[in-house]
Amino acid sequence: MSKALKSLLIAGAAALTVGSMPASAQQGNALTILRVIDADKYDPIRSTATAAAEIVYMLADTLVSIDFDMKTIKPLLAKSWTISEDGKTYTFKLRDDVKFCDGRPMKAEDVVYSLKRWTDPASKSPVSFRGGPVKDIKATDDYTVVYELKEPYADLMFQLGLSFASIIDKASVEKLGENFGVQGFNATGPYCWVSWTPRQDFVMKKNPHYAWGPEIYKNPKPQVEQIVWRVIPEQNTLMAAMQAKQADATYYMPYIAIDTISRVPGMKVQQQKNYIYDAFMGFKVDKPVVKDEAIRKAVNMATNKDAIAKAVYFGKGAPMQSLLNPSVLDYDAKSASLMPKFDPAAAAKLLDEAGWKPGSDGIREKDGQKATFTVYGLRNAVNPRISEAMQADLRKIGIDMKIQLWDATVGWGKLATQEFDAFYMSYPYVTANEALNLYFRSTQTPTPNRMNWKNEKTDQLLATATTATDDNTRKGANAAVQQQLTDASVWVPLVSEPMWLVTGDRVEGAKPHGVYGAGLYKGLDITLKR
Amino acid sequence: MLRHTLERLLLAVPVLFGVLLLGFFLMQVVPTDPAIVRAGPTASMEVIEAIRQELGLNEPLWKQFFIYIGRLLQGDLGVSIINNVPVTQELGTTIGPTLELMLASLIWAIPLGIAMGTVGAYYRGTFLDRIIMAASVAGVSIPVFFLGLTLIWFLGFQYQLLPFTGRPGPIWTWEGFKAVIMPAITLGGVFVGPVARMTRSSVLDVLGADHVRTARAKGLPERTVVSRHALRNALVPVVTLIGLQIGFLLGGAVVTETVFSWPGIGRLAVGAILSSDLPMAQGTIIVLSLGFILVNLAVDVLYAVLDPRVRGA
Repeated sequence: MSKALKSLLIAGAAALTVGSMPASAQQGNALTILRVIDADKYDPIRSTATAAAEIVYMLADTLVSIDFDMKTIKPLLAKSWTISEDGKTYTFKLRDDVKFCDGRPMKAEDVVYSLKRWTDPASKSPVSFRGGPVKDIKATDDYTVVYELKEPYADLMFQLGLSFASIIDKASVEKLGENFGVQGFNATGPYCWVSWTPRQDFVMKKNPHYAWGPEIYKNPKPQVEQIVWRVIPEQNTLMAAMQAKQADATYYMPYIAIDTISRVPGMKVQQQKNYIYDAFMGFKVDKPVVKDEAIRKAVNMATNKDAIAKAVYFGKGAPMQSLLNPSVLDYDAKSASLMPKFDPAAAAKLLDEAGWKPGSDGIREKDGQKATFTVYGLRNAVNPRISEAMQADLRKIGIDMKIQLWDATVGWGKLATQEFDAFYMSYPYVTANEALNLYFRSTQTPTPNRMNWKNEKTDQLLATATTATDDNTRKGANAAVQQQLTDASVWVPLVSEPMWLVTGDRVEGAKPHGVYGAGLYKGLDITLKR
Repeated sequence: MLRHTLERLLLAVPVLFGVLLLGFFLMQVVPTDPAIVRAGPTASMEVIEAIRQELGLNEPLWKQFFIYIGRLLQGDLGVSIINNVPVTQELGTTIGPTLELMLASLIWAIPLGIAMGTVGAYYRGTFLDRIIMAASVAGVSIPVFFLGLTLIWFLGFQYQLLPFTGRPGPIWTWEGFKAVIMPAITLGGVFVGPVARMTRSSVLDVLGADHVRTARAKGLPERTVVSRHALRNALVPVVTLIGLQIGFLLGGAVVTETVFSWPGIGRLAVGAILSSDLPMAQGTIIVLSLGFILVNLAVDVLYAVLDPRVRGA
């Protein structure tokens, strides 16, 4: 090799090395957050994706906020509120110091516009139902909003804390039309829209006016100048990027890497214990074989949830011992005690007693019917292994579970059919009442009530809970539904999927929140050391 | 020469129509409903139906196809059913990064492959030849994603020399240049092997030919014999292979773009297919197949330049 060439190569390598020292995206007062998927759009009422919620929560505010415990409602844009005795009229007093990103003061008419847009059936939003049976929403003065219902709706305050109920700027919506939340966005959140390059980066900057952060944070003002949300679809790349300090925070770290990453000097790993995102298996209760309660119960008893939590979630998930998450509002401990414990021998005995006798191939039979059923699910990171573990568990008690997992492209379509006997799913929710109403009301068949669970008692209890005006009635009715469903083994609750926030060495004050998948919620209290 | 080019160009038209037809109906065969995907897992049937109506998915298939072709002829590829952005706009923003990545890969991979193959052939049977062939077999066998992740591990994580999370700017900027190095090594890496192997066997054939012996007999220097008399004649099959490989490179770009979060057309295609965004998926299929057709056309023309016998055929 000639001398000149050698020197050129050395110089090139040196230039690359020096030049790439700050190759990390960690520059200045900009926080880089990594995630694995982008949302389709950022109009609060148009996307149900958690990837949309995590951005919208930072760009916009809601009337109320949800505390880190996922149970307590705290003021946000509304500084106080009263609820009429009949539970049909909610009156919100708004803060008078709130400004949109463009500097315009927020008034009651903005709230009325946003909430009407959300709840109006004409807007054809997939989340309109969350607003309840609205009669009218009106402003009585510049800082008072009255939300009138046709009948009481116990979940309203929590729903008003979800990103779907964000307060947005009417002028911005009208100016951008279909491109609202695609090309721009104006609201009152701690951060303002800068740019969105789909599947790549979402950039937001500090809202200079913002000083009304919810009291769940120590500092009501944002401390970070800019936030860059970067999509890294490949999880191994994401892991390496965090370790190589090319980013500051993520809550999409693969479970397998959590322990490793927590040992890296400077990295901080925090768990949000109250994160509500649960994986379960549901049965179509009118299908042969699984319509037998004994089969459903036996499946519940034979499934080793501890082993699944350890093997599939690398010990980072919590086995679900109840229909709903223990952290959720109106969780019923009594129904949790009714949940059959892991006991394959007892499961086999139960099947024996129910008349399911082992056949020549080891699979049980009853009246010429084999104890076999088909489960559908999405082919995601966990379902293949969960289903294989369950298949082995069930085989031991003489039940043959056939697995059919689908790519996300076709999966949701397949899960809307009646082709299968059971299915896997995981979902975020904020209250027991919301989850139960969504999945178990007879009016919700065929989706999202994919179980075809049509039960008058359930409907009545849910109606009672939903329209309750006092906590005890609501709690009691929700508890009764949980007990009924646990007793009928309509679901096999599997694992509560945890949220782990990983932050790099220059991040301080970040705390995982996780409402509707939004790990950093309003993005407040976060400071950067350099 | 012109006639040859025009003929090839005309032949590309039915191929493109076939691709359109296949692309459209393949996306229809997939048992998915874009309305369900857009509505999300908790939506009721009424909401799904409303979205279906809005998207015109209830029209008969043949009608949808002809509406689509009609718009296409006017240069309108439709709008994304997911985020309402015109497909042409999305394609416009993603084609650049993909072309940059391919250019950055080919610019080093083709010369290196040809050089490796020529050296291997010239020093046939020696230790150097074996090393070169082993390297090219490795290049052919290593999956793109594995090479990508290995590079990330060493150059990105262990030594923290290069960034690997996306494209901070065009490749002629310093940041963009640094960011393209690893994806270009990854994508080009799978290209070097086949080119080296084809060049080696082709040069070997030619080195034994009469005209090379004549050139040597004339007393020409070895360098001239190899570069002017052997290599040029050996390049005809190599050019064909490069053309075909560029087609595969488009496939490799899909994986490379995913591993390195490179915002190109490959990632757009994957995203569109996964979210059942039919107009967007069809748009990417058209552009990718158009790319493939154009490269093959260029190869045909280049073939005629390199080998005068082809022109008259």
